[in-house]
Amino acid sequence: MAGTAERMAKNQKQVAISEFFEKNKHFLGFDSLTRSLITAVKEAVDNSLDACEEARILPEIKVKITKIDDKKNIIELQTEDNGPGIPKRSIEKVFGQLLFGSRFHAIRQSRGQQGIGITGVVMYSQLTTGRKTHVRSKIATETSAATVDIGLDTRKNKATKTNEGRELWENADGTLKEHGLEITCRMKAKYQRGRQSVYQYLRMTSIVNPHAEITFVDPDGEVHHWARVTERLPRKVESIKPHPHGIHLGTLQRMCTESTDTRMTSFLYKNFSGVSSRAAKELLAAAEIEEKAKPKSMKPDHIRALLEAFQGERQLNGKVVKLLNPPTNCLSPIEELLIKKGLSKTIDSRFVTTMTRVPTVSQGNPYQVEVGLIFGDGMAADKPVEVLRFANRVPLMYQQGGCLLTKAIESVDWRQYGLDQAGGRGVPKGPAAILVHLASTNVQFTSEAKEALADNAEVMDEVRKAMLEMGRGLRKHLEKKKKMVKVQEKFELVNDIIPAIAAKSAAILNRPVPDLAGSITRIMGAVIAESATVWNKETKQTDVSITLFNYTSRARAYTLLASWPEREGAVMEGNQTGGRKEATGVWAWKLDTLEPGHTYTITYSLSGLEKGDWTETDVFYRGSQEVIGASKMDEKLLEEIRRQESRGEEGEDDEEPSEKGAEEEETDPAAPPSQEDETPKSGGQQTLMGYGSDA
Amino acid sequence: MSASHTPEETKIALHEVVAEMYDKIVKGEPPTMTLPVRTKSNIGFDEKLGVYKYGKKRSVRDATSLGSAKQLLRALHVVEFIEGMIDAGKSSTLREMYYISEGWGLGKFSSQNESNNLAEDLEVVTKCLREDFKLRPEEDGARMIGNLTLRERNRRGEWMRINARDDVGDSGYGVPYNVEEEKIELLEHDISFIMAIETGGMFDRLIENGFDEAFNCGLVHLKGQPARSTRRILKRMSEEWDLPVVVFLDGDPWSFRIFASIAYGAIKTAHISEYLATPSASYLGITAGDIEAYDLPSDDLSPRDIDALKAELSDPRFADGWWQEQINMMLELGKKAEQQSLAKYGLDFVTDTYLPEKLAELGLA
Repeated sequence: MAGTAERMAKNQKQVAISEFFEKNKHFLGFDSLTRSLITAVKEAVDNSLDACEEARILPEIKVKITKIDDKKNIIELQTEDNGPGIPKRSIEKVFGQLLFGSRFHAIRQSRGQQGIGITGVVMYSQLTTGRKTHVRSKIATETSAATVDIGLDTRKNKATKTNEGRELWENADGTLKEHGLEITCRMKAKYQRGRQSVYQYLRMTSIVNPHAEITFVDPDGEVHHWARVTERLPRKVESIKPHPHGIHLGTLQRMCTESTDTRMTSFLYKNFSGVSSRAAKELLAAAEIEEKAKPKSMKPDHIRALLEAFQGERQLNGKVVKLLNPPTNCLSPIEELLIKKGLSKTIDSRFVTTMTRVPTVSQGNPYQVEVGLIFGDGMAADKPVEVLRFANRVPLMYQQGGCLLTKAIESVDWRQYGLDQAGGRGVPKGPAAILVHLASTNVQFTSEAKEALADNAEVMDEVRKAMLEMGRGLRKHLEKKKKMVKVQEKFELVNDIIPAIAAKSAAILNRPVPDLAGSITRIMGAVIAESATVWNKETKQTDVSITLFNYTSRARAYTLLASWPEREGAVMEGNQTGGRKEATGVWAWKLDTLEPGHTYTITYSLSGLEKGDWTETDVFYRGSQEVIGASKMDEKLLEEIRRQESRGEEGEDDEEPSEKGAEEEETDPAAPPSQEDETPKSGGQQTLMGYGSDA
Repeated sequence: MSASHTPEETKIALHEVVAEMYDKIVKGEPPTMTLPVRTKSNIGFDEKLGVYKYGKKRSVRDATSLGSAKQLLRALHVVEFIEGMIDAGKSSTLREMYYISEGWGLGKFSSQNESNNLAEDLEVVTKCLREDFKLRPEEDGARMIGNLTLRERNRRGEWMRINARDDVGDSGYGVPYNVEEEKIELLEHDISFIMAIETGGMFDRLIENGFDEAFNCGLVHLKGQPARSTRRILKRMSEEWDLPVVVFLDGDPWSFRIFASIAYGAIKTAHISEYLATPSASYLGITAGDIEAYDLPSDDLSPRDIDALKAELSDPRFADGWWQEQINMMLELGKKAEQQSLAKYGLDFVTDTYLPEKLAELGLA
């Protein structure tokens, strides 16, 4: 009898685990044949990216999908990386354990917060085709690669190993692979194209992982390749301790029980971020707990009281106990320039603007918002813009409508920034794609499916602010483009058409060709600046030239200013005109008086950049007569940038702001200080002199 | 009477246009071309000529924008081209000129409409005709049938005598693009009025029913908006033979405009209205009243139709009481009808009933 019972119990457990999988497949990501395949790719690729990041390796990832049986929807998925590999003894742990990721309690930003990991893929393959997952792993310290077939013993929630062996792992070129991991599995799944597809997932992944090289061979044998655009690995993220504002009762209880600290003061001080030793004492006082009480001896009432003190519901002398914010170095933003590169490589377009907000904290959780917008001819003008959503560098592909990030985009009136939008609500239409990335130690989703971010007023506000600023950049770009078209037309007019009219009329009338200077001055009646920013293949430099044309009847004097990527480490070379630094990333040249009909050209080269890093130079001027093709320098904005700099570079040599504009002979004191009425109001983020550029 | 200029006169007139541009450049100003405003706001009734002509409003096209500068350059190329044709004794169609402009570099036309408009601009400014410029339209003129006799000079320079009833087939006499005296002479006729008809279907119906002989009239097919030569020959027949002209059109806002271009002068060619317009022409139908009176099959006015009617209300050519009444009546009715809707009552209804009744109103039958 006992034997039967035991057998039944075992059976029951076996049923329970596959049932668990079956019942929860919607949030495990295996609820449809198409989604199962995407989830499997996602688990494998996320693991590869995380492993490479941890080991500081530039990832090279290959994904290959082969149709084995079209009628029965059997697909083989093979993924390969150049990560550190997994030591032979750990393979079963990594592939065979459900819900036992080590990340579960670590507080830092990581991709793997989502899904149940690669184990789910092993299980899904086994459940749908009965096949084991083949793993090949090579670590640097061994000569040969370990191979093994992994299955799951659903009774024991443990991996089963078969066909263990060792082999030499050769690359395609015959050399031996140094390190890496390859996974091959067969599953019931369906390959599809479109917005929700393996292709789209990999494309989005490559946008936010510009340091990765990704190759995808689709079932038709077509090879898709997303090249690496930066050698820079994402910053290594640090784990942080939980912050009192973000902790739940259960966790606090567990932390107390498991604590080996002898006093509550040191327990709080050591295990939480943002808690100074004074704050620890104050918290305990507010919660009416003795300082030297043992954490282990805390009663539920105490713990509740402590939590109330954390959240400011219990106060000390009528005051909430002040806590420091948690550190934000646990976040790894992609950063503006890299988003720009990532977007530019997958979408061929003219204009990209990006913005990384400063990290901030919501309910004890550090988070950071990044956005990017790409606009141009390559995309459909009459369709809704493509929304690219990411959480901790992981693409979100489903439930777009219910996601906080989408709602933030929809809440902006894009019409004022040059996109179509019915009624000023909803996803705008136009030839554009909008990227939103939320990096956080604790991403809140609407459901276990982890495809849509849950509402959070603070995050919403951050995303909105970023959108508005990006929108302003887009509007400026469009206005500038319009203006440049007009300037180009004027140039064609005076350089080509007027001379042709003069020559032809003279020929018909049989008279001498008249002098054109007067007509041209009358037609243009303006000072025009033209700038070119061109990548020089030979010198590997970005060559910039700025030309000022005086097409007016009077002599003019100006100071010209130009933006340049000083922050990005560029070096200015061959600048014969001299000039001076006005602020970080802003150079100024005080020019000699320009006679009517004369031009002046400034040239210089920027080294230390890659192709595509800097494609548009913004030109500003100081002087009374408007310059077409340049913007009047916004002195307030310049002042603000200088102020930020001196704040940011404490102790470093500051530029002398007092020198500014002191000897401008054309400066008109009565002129309004600024045309840029929409000077960004967002706090402390006025870095966007260059508000985006043509790609 | 002829509108023509000699080749020398034409060249001098064209050179004046060129000199205006040249002199402006010499003075250090943007080159310009001054021409009358060619919209309904600048046409007025000329008491002496009895037609609508351009008023005094002038617009200056100056080379301060890329678009108008290109227009000036194109005008220079066209002038040069015309001079070349005059000197070589050639002519070309407007369409040929459009294709020739491919070789004009910056001065090339981007559409045929542009080249047509520019040819008209030059006519207006120089007061020459496009015949003087050796430019021919693409479309041929109208067809005519009836007992009228004229003389046409053929390609070999010989005069041919043609009777438009006895010497022609069912398609009638084809009116050439040039109907000036050097090409066509009106000899004699035995008709009591001329009827101009909008559609080919109705023209053929009247011929099949023998309407021209039964009512002793000449029939002219307008082919929609009539070509200049059609309007010119109507004018010549009406004046030289002193014949009444009645116009039989569809009943819609566009027909009103066709009639206005025949009787009062077209806005686009108001500079030569006195050569093209036949002030004595009368509108026979179809009127809004006909649609109701004969209970004709009709269509609702489209928004475009309604806008056209409203624009006509402020057009000086429709300022008189009868037209205001007609336009308002159509607006009120909200309907339009085609000529051929008369077939509702059978193929002979138009010749047996409708036209006799309408002509009687005008005192012609």
